Amino acid sequence: MSILDIFLFEWKHFSRNPFKVVALLLFLVAAAYGLHHGASLYHEQTATIDVIKTQAAEERQKYISYFDEGKKGPEDRPWIDLTTPFWAIWYNGIYHFKAPSPALVYSIGQAEQYGFYKRVTFWASPYDSDMTQEIANPERLQTGTLDFAFALLFLLPLLLLILLYNLRSAEAEQGFLPLIEVQAISQNTWLLSRVAFYVALLFVAIAALLVYGAFLTPVFSSAPAAFGRMLLFSSFYLLFWSVIFYFIIRSGKSIMGNALNMAGVWLVFVFLIPGLVHQWVSIKKPANLMTEFIDATRDEQEKLFNQPDSVIQAQLDALFPEIVDSPVARDSTKRNLAMNRSSSALANELKKSSIGVIEADNQTKNELIRSTYWFNPIAFFQNQLNAISESHYDHYQHYRDQIQRLIDKQIRTMVLDTWNGVKVDKEQFLHYNKNLVP
Amino acid sequence: MWLMIKNEWQFLLRSRVLQGISLAFLLALGVSVYLGNLQTNSQAEQYAAAKEHLRAQWESIDAMNPHGAAHYGTYVFKPSNLLSSLDEGVRSVTGNVLRVEGHVQNEMVHSEASQMQSVSKFGKLKSSLLLQYILPLVLVFLAFHSVSKEKQSGRLKSLVLQGAKPSSIVWAKTISVWLYGLVLLSLTVLTYALFNLPSISAEITSRTLLFYLSYALYYFILSGLTVFFSARWQNPTVALTAMLGIWIVWTIFLPNIFMTSVEKWHELPSREEFKTAMREDRSKGIDGHNPADARGKELEDQILKEYGVDSLSQLPINFDGIRMQADEEYGNKVWDKHFGHLRNVLARQKQSYQMAGIIDPFISLQNASMGFSGSDNLHHQEFLLQVESYRRDFIKMLNDKHAYGGSKTGDWSWKADNAFFKSVPDFAYQPTAMASVFPNYLADLILLACWTVFAAVLLVWGTKRIQVI
Repeated sequence: MSILDIFLFEWKHFSRNPFKVVALLLFLVAAAYGLHHGASLYHEQTATIDVIKTQAAEERQKYISYFDEGKKGPEDRPWIDLTTPFWAIWYNGIYHFKAPSPALVYSIGQAEQYGFYKRVTFWASPYDSDMTQEIANPERLQTGTLDFAFALLFLLPLLLLILLYNLRSAEAEQGFLPLIEVQAISQNTWLLSRVAFYVALLFVAIAALLVYGAFLTPVFSSAPAAFGRMLLFSSFYLLFWSVIFYFIIRSGKSIMGNALNMAGVWLVFVFLIPGLVHQWVSIKKPANLMTEFIDATRDEQEKLFNQPDSVIQAQLDALFPEIVDSPVARDSTKRNLAMNRSSSALANELKKSSIGVIEADNQTKNELIRSTYWFNPIAFFQNQLNAISESHYDHYQHYRDQIQRLIDKQIRTMVLDTWNGVKVDKEQFLHYNKNLVP
Repeated sequence: MWLMIKNEWQFLLRSRVLQGISLAFLLALGVSVYLGNLQTNSQAEQYAAAKEHLRAQWESIDAMNPHGAAHYGTYVFKPSNLLSSLDEGVRSVTGNVLRVEGHVQNEMVHSEASQMQSVSKFGKLKSSLLLQYILPLVLVFLAFHSVSKEKQSGRLKSLVLQGAKPSSIVWAKTISVWLYGLVLLSLTVLTYALFNLPSISAEITSRTLLFYLSYALYYFILSGLTVFFSARWQNPTVALTAMLGIWIVWTIFLPNIFMTSVEKWHELPSREEFKTAMREDRSKGIDGHNPADARGKELEDQILKEYGVDSLSQLPINFDGIRMQADEEYGNKVWDKHFGHLRNVLARQKQSYQMAGIIDPFISLQNASMGFSGSDNLHHQEFLLQVESYRRDFIKMLNDKHAYGGSKTGDWSWKADNAFFKSVPDFAYQPTAMASVFPNYLADLILLACWTVFAAVLLVWGTKRIQVI
């Protein structure tokens, strides 16, 4: 009996077993549903970003028109003077976005736990309340989202269990096993070929689903490497479970025993180990209540601004040595206003130091989780898939870092131009936009 | 029948496999209750320290303009709930910190889930994880060949010949398996009670009993259905695969599908739409910080008339405080409208999701478990409402001090003293009483009861004519 014969026999066995066929169809439906869900989130986020960009451009245009009309700003808010760097930068309406990757179609990951657009101002911080997640039902967030990654990580092993649980043990229970040897093929090759048939079947199913997903968002045109990596990790994952289940059915003596062992391993890897690790991390490093950040944005800031002007000026001089001999520094009539407007730079430094503590805390948690990968494979694969779809914690950390750099750049430009007495005209207003918008 | 149940238990207790599974399960349950408790206690300590820290800062305000203090504001942290060591519900995704300040109703931020990478899709190792996902599977494995094995061994036939009714045998099998589930459930609840003995109140007891009831009903449904399949089908593998299929569909598949679907049926606005709509409505009211605002002028005329004076400087009070409070009250109407709409949509989503319990009793169990543990979205919304009510009283107290505390209009340098700031009460969370929210979980309990009746009816009618060999 050749391997091809075994494949053909297995195909007959599979196609005549309605339970197995229904299980495969159910998996395909769930995975396709998950792909559509991921694509829907991708399109929603893209549309939201487009709307905000349009609104920001319209708002900016309104302020540009003040220059054409020879006005300094809106008449009902006389304190706004667009000819100063402070207001000109403020009303440039600068946003930074985390554009979704087309590979979000495969894994939503942590995309729903964070904001993906942020108005960048002198007073902003990557931990502002507007950086929080989109409005969503918390019970849905808790239940989890049925995306392709969910189908792959949690339903695929169950499908494999249903397809493989009675291989060999059914023949063993019915006393057919010796007949296999008579067919001039070793039991191992026979069993391996049968398992290989299902692995091949599922590989084709996964590849087809990935291709289908790639047509729902521009994966092939914008993120072709993501497709390849997703296929690679999906295959590794399929192999991982296939190897475990192969050894269970090879050593198993009964259908019931096989089903029990396979379900047991699945429960341990899917529920118990990740749950235990999650609990352990939460005890070791409880949720941060952000008191450092609260102190920095409130009490420390209050203390900072209550200091004598000379102290504030000295701090500003230390931060921006360029302003020490600037034209405004030499003009006592303008110095106080410039100092007030530059105070956000000092507040920014306070916030940055408190953010450092929070992020170090978060990184410790991530390190703890990573250190468990060797016995917590589901978390490993889950985070790999999130990384491919750019919906991993690290991608949002990178986004927050970019926001912080933009805040720093904006503050620096505002402070230097303010102290150098730059008079903003339409050209300079547009120049800010070109230079400060990422 | 009790003799048969006793017999069944003797068989169960003699099984080495079952002894191993029970031991492992008990160990996991013990660990989950212990760790759950440890986490709840450490959270409570952290919460108390943060709350004390923030309060100390507020009480140390030496002298500050009351409106400046409204901007300084305070923060409320979400307290941990004793029963959350059994079922954490939505806690890890809802955020922990809420800023309380003037002019705006903020949202809760900085969720635990956002502070680290993904680790577990099904949550922490809480008792609910074991009781919802693992124990039902153990019950299925115990029950799937309970009757078919008797048929194959010929024992069923001899029992019938000795006068036992097939339906009594089937019931005895069901009750034995169910009792096994109840024993493990009882041990979980008792261990939890033992750890928390000093904190147990009537409220906690009633919630725990309802929690217990929900699980007890669900375990009966699973035990009954599995024994029914075992009785109907000669081949135990068919019974096992059918029950595994049902478990997968009920536990993994449908909750996700329905939860995602109800969010589409009753759509929530995007954050941008929500904020834009609030901003638009808010701009139609008084701008407390803009003295030139037309609506502010109208209020000014009204107050001047009320006091019988011609100008703000003649007023014995500070009009700025009155304008700020008017601004606040208009804002409150806007927040009520928009946040109220969000709450309504979430309530409709919940009701639709609860109805999915008609085809999936696991959904009813999950809702009831979170609800009775006080960790579902409904309890979270109750908490947010309490904080918002506190915010309104807090800001009103500051605005009243600004208006009637002795300063004159335009005097922004005037400051209230430390005694005043100390007199402003801190936020005190009143845990939601079960009696007030119980009707929300009635649908879940009724559906679980209906499923229980359905399983019982299947056992009574469906096994009347079972083949004894």
